[in-house]
Amino acid sequence: MNTPITAVLDGGELKEQLDRLAAQAGLHQWDLGASCSTDTSVQVDRGEPKQMKGAERRAVTVRVWNDQGLVGITSTSDLSEAGLARALEGAKEASSFGNPDEVPAFSPLAKAPLQPLEQPLKESCSILDLLARLKEAERDLLASHPAITTVPYNGLAQRSSERLYINSDGALRHQQLSTASLYLYARAEETGRKPRSSGAVRLAYGLEDLDVHGCVEEAAQRTISHLDYAPIATGRYTCVFSPEAFLDLIGAFSSLFNARAVLDGVSLSQKDSLGKPLAVPFLSITDNALHPGNIGSPLFDGEGTPTAPLRLIEGGVLRHFLHSEATARAFGVLPTGHAGMGAKVSVSPDWFEIGPTPGVTAGEEGLDRFAPMGRRAGMGDLVVIDSLSALHAGVKASQGAFSLPFDGWLIRDGQAISVEAATVAGDIRTVLTSLIGFEGPSKVTPSGLCPWVWVEGLTITGDG
Amino acid sequence: MEFQDPAWRGLLEPLLAAGRAAGADLVEVFLERSDHLGALAEQDVITNVSPSFGMGAGVRVFSGRHDGFVSTNDLSSAGLMAALDQALAMLGLLRNPRSPDGFEGLPPLKDYALAKASWLGGSPSLPEVASRLLEGTAALARHGSHLQSRRGSYARDWQDVLVCASDGTFARDIRLHQSLGLNVLAADGDHRASVGRRYGTQGRPEDLRDWDPDASAQDLCSSAATMLYANYVEAGQYPVVLANRFGGVIFHEACGHLLETTQVERGTTPFADCIGDPIAHEAVTAIDEGLSEGSFGSLSMDDEGMEPQRTVLIEQGILRRFLSDRAGEMRTSHPRTGSGRRQSYSFAAASRMRNTYIAPGPHTPEDLIASVDRGLYCKAMGGGSVGPTGQFNFAVEEAYLIEQGQLTRPVKGATLIGEAKEVLPRISMCANDLELAAGFCGSVSGSIFVTVGQPHIRVDAITVGGR
Repeated sequence: MNTPITAVLDGGELKEQLDRLAAQAGLHQWDLGASCSTDTSVQVDRGEPKQMKGAERRAVTVRVWNDQGLVGITSTSDLSEAGLARALEGAKEASSFGNPDEVPAFSPLAKAPLQPLEQPLKESCSILDLLARLKEAERDLLASHPAITTVPYNGLAQRSSERLYINSDGALRHQQLSTASLYLYARAEETGRKPRSSGAVRLAYGLEDLDVHGCVEEAAQRTISHLDYAPIATGRYTCVFSPEAFLDLIGAFSSLFNARAVLDGVSLSQKDSLGKPLAVPFLSITDNALHPGNIGSPLFDGEGTPTAPLRLIEGGVLRHFLHSEATARAFGVLPTGHAGMGAKVSVSPDWFEIGPTPGVTAGEEGLDRFAPMGRRAGMGDLVVIDSLSALHAGVKASQGAFSLPFDGWLIRDGQAISVEAATVAGDIRTVLTSLIGFEGPSKVTPSGLCPWVWVEGLTITGDG
Repeated sequence: MEFQDPAWRGLLEPLLAAGRAAGADLVEVFLERSDHLGALAEQDVITNVSPSFGMGAGVRVFSGRHDGFVSTNDLSSAGLMAALDQALAMLGLLRNPRSPDGFEGLPPLKDYALAKASWLGGSPSLPEVASRLLEGTAALARHGSHLQSRRGSYARDWQDVLVCASDGTFARDIRLHQSLGLNVLAADGDHRASVGRRYGTQGRPEDLRDWDPDASAQDLCSSAATMLYANYVEAGQYPVVLANRFGGVIFHEACGHLLETTQVERGTTPFADCIGDPIAHEAVTAIDEGLSEGSFGSLSMDDEGMEPQRTVLIEQGILRRFLSDRAGEMRTSHPRTGSGRRQSYSFAAASRMRNTYIAPGPHTPEDLIASVDRGLYCKAMGGGSVGPTGQFNFAVEEAYLIEQGQLTRPVKGATLIGEAKEVLPRISMCANDLELAAGFCGSVSGSIFVTVGQPHIRVDAITVGGR
């Protein structure tokens, strides 16, 4: 049986409650971010249900300005009147430790019109329906190759969720979403050889829209492609990043574009870096939450500012930083829709579009990692970096350095051999100025849009 | 309503009976109230204070080898019953009030929280926290040079839990975890070094008051000064000496996770059929326990209401035990070890580590370094991860070359890469200086408090990623 989507959060009622409770607490300025969600998910193991989960979650964060104009917050999952009153009291107490050197204010865009976006609300299916579909996907994946014996990490999930932003100045934002996700991570093993694994993921607005077949095929193809493996010799290589891998790398160094990190002195960029070259002239990077490929795009950020495309690098030159209200004020610009909510407001990217700068020759033309003699005669071996791991540990964002394990292939004369275990290391500033060019059309992934990216001279460490 | 209130019994017993009457083999309810305080000091200002509080319940139903789990913020009788209905439906079961339930009621509450009622009130107030953090960042300024950023962070997590199950489990506990972190970013021209340390304890409300900011700042600033001008390490295979305390993170990630029954269930551990077999060098004995007083991973009871044990995982190289929870025991037959843990009510418990360490050996740390002709000394480890096929990688935050048995130049950018099955037999020497360090572990049942530890150990060969 399908369950229709109905709204749970009532912005008008919450506003009325907060106005009353804030007045009782002697608070005149406040804002509130709330969310609620209903999730169901299943995992399977060789045709049997492994775990079935359901969750009803509610959360609210209230932020208040005290008599001295200082800001404090408190978060809670208790949306009852008593819970909200306690949260206001907690926020008031915290506000006595607000930072007088940097006081957030309401976003000047908190009441600006939102961009219309096609985000269909899909009904939820029963958990037994989820289970049946995942069992079938697992069965198809196991049947795709005799070496694939298990799918140890898998999950099919659906969520209906709501976000709300209101403030004492009358701003009211509300967004309702339904999403579904599938991940399949298979393990393959051949006698006498090490196990190999890889996977795929798909997102959609509803279960019916999920590309289950594509996910199974991609997980199978990726896993099988690593069966024939060999160690790689340590050295410097020309590397070809998959769209997913390059997006992960850029995401890990997004402090380059983050005004909060710039002001805190932990970014490689500085206030005067805007307008200066950061990359090869044919690279452009835009943050665009509203791209249709971004399933579940947020329409507004934690401060109620509408999300919108923002050109970060254009023609290799750093053009804009991501901003909250407070950082935008410090830079003398408008907020960009990338804020969280807090006493000290965090700033983060949404969804990257990476590719060639329009009108500029996009580096070397006709790159093809599988060309029999490489992209040009005598070029030597290529390393294809399919996916990066352990970004939280191997990236020193404030230093620009990275050393990351990866799954990928060594390509010699057009033939691919999976790399057994290796890391790729370098400096992000060098990477951005060592791009050779792009290969193929851009691909939509959960974290952005990007083509294959060729980079010269990265250090690979292996056991060969 | 406080969890010691007898009214909870009246609310929970009908729930357990209803689940049993519907045909469930076992019904478990985990209730939680939480209170968190986070604070951040940057340079000489408190820049963020983030309190939060909450409550919720996780209802889990077992039938045969399967289970369904539902979490909710609604702790009313109707809310809990709705969660039970949803969990039952996952297993194709329906409530039937006329069926016999075979449930004999809950026994008297085993209340581990009685002696802990004053913990939350006894922990530092917000003004005290702010003051201590600013002492920390001021100490960093005194002891460091070229510091572009100085940060001190504090987190206090208080949790009150009540666990009941239709097998007669009925227990309550209070947990109090406090952690303190110091971080610096040193910069001089193109040279940059970021270094951090974390300290954490469980069940010691006074802990922050006893902290010595000068000693911590000196240690951190000395590392930052050393690493600021260090060159990148040359990639290759080296013998490695890993320092004690947080060096144990490699054993935790690369081996400990493979000894959890969740991995046996998934078929992702190479050690599934190795009980009684040698899997490590005979110099290695490894233990996981929840008993060390004040340690981050210690518990009075696990999140399934069972008292923790001292579990010898590996004894002189021989695999002895797996860490098991309720579901793990049911599905793999490895007996429970008091290791069922979860981040909060919104996760089902799973077999997880507590305080995990390699036991001390007969050598001194100096013996280990003197035994290496050319290798790497890893003094401070960063984070890392282990992949689904057992491959691990760890960033080294502070490292030195060992040349002819002596520590020489500092080097940066090192990553240790390997596979548990291959590396365990290469841990050939353990020193006599076991120490533990607090950490967080993220896995199937969320992020939990753990302790890692080891004495100095020598690994005969490991791949070091570098430039």
